[in-house]
Amino acid sequence: MVKHALPLTKIKLMNKYLLLPHRFKAIGWCILIPATMAGVYLIAKSFEVTWLRTTVFSFFGHDGFVHNGNSLTGNHNFSFITVDVTLSLVGFLFIMGGLMVSFSKEKTEDEFISNLRLSSLLWSVWVNYVLLLIAFVFIWNFDFLSVMVYNMFTILIIFIIRFNFILYKNSKMATDEK
Amino acid sequence: MKNNIRVERAILNMTQEELANKISVSRQTINAMEANKYVPSTVLALKIARVFKKPVEDIFQLEKGD
Repeated sequence: MVKHALPLTKIKLMNKYLLLPHRFKAIGWCILIPATMAGVYLIAKSFEVTWLRTTVFSFFGHDGFVHNGNSLTGNHNFSFITVDVTLSLVGFLFIMGGLMVSFSKEKTEDEFISNLRLSSLLWSVWVNYVLLLIAFVFIWNFDFLSVMVYNMFTILIIFIIRFNFILYKNSKMATDEK
Repeated sequence: MKNNIRVERAILNMTQEELANKISVSRQTINAMEANKYVPSTVLALKIARVFKKPVEDIFQLEKGD
């Protein structure tokens, strides 16, 4: 046998992917779970929820769609406006939490897990857009708006489910062995 | 590609967890390789061979279609 200078545990593959440290995964779940519950509540209430009305800065906007009393007159490009931010806040938190859960390192982020991460990402983009294509063909008029709302989040949701399901399946088999 | 990691592990009376720790990978990775669901990189194959103190070819063999 060959003589080895480096201890085995010291040999690590170069980490070439942009991922957050492992601790962000737990933080992500703490944000994602409440945001999901809030999101389900918003859906149940047909998005007619006004939890937080506040002054925000608007990059651009003009009259139009009235929702949750957010009706404004005149142009408000690069100016402060007062609106209900409930829907935006829940969406923001959901995506923040979803990104942290999806793209934080696992405890041992090795080559198999990197591989699974990338294949799950490919898989979720495929599934997402196939579903969207089906929606394009079968969902019409104003109803398509809700498809667009859900579609903002589906890639992350499908990714998280697929990645964690396969990881779970593999660890389950491992605990079964004697 | 097939491998006999599970057999070699049994010879040394080593659990998946122990092997995983020795080569700094997750338990899931060992499991996926033993189930022939994952083909390791050359680096990982060499590390496994080193743990079992055998040439790589004794642990990993090509199959028809590879």
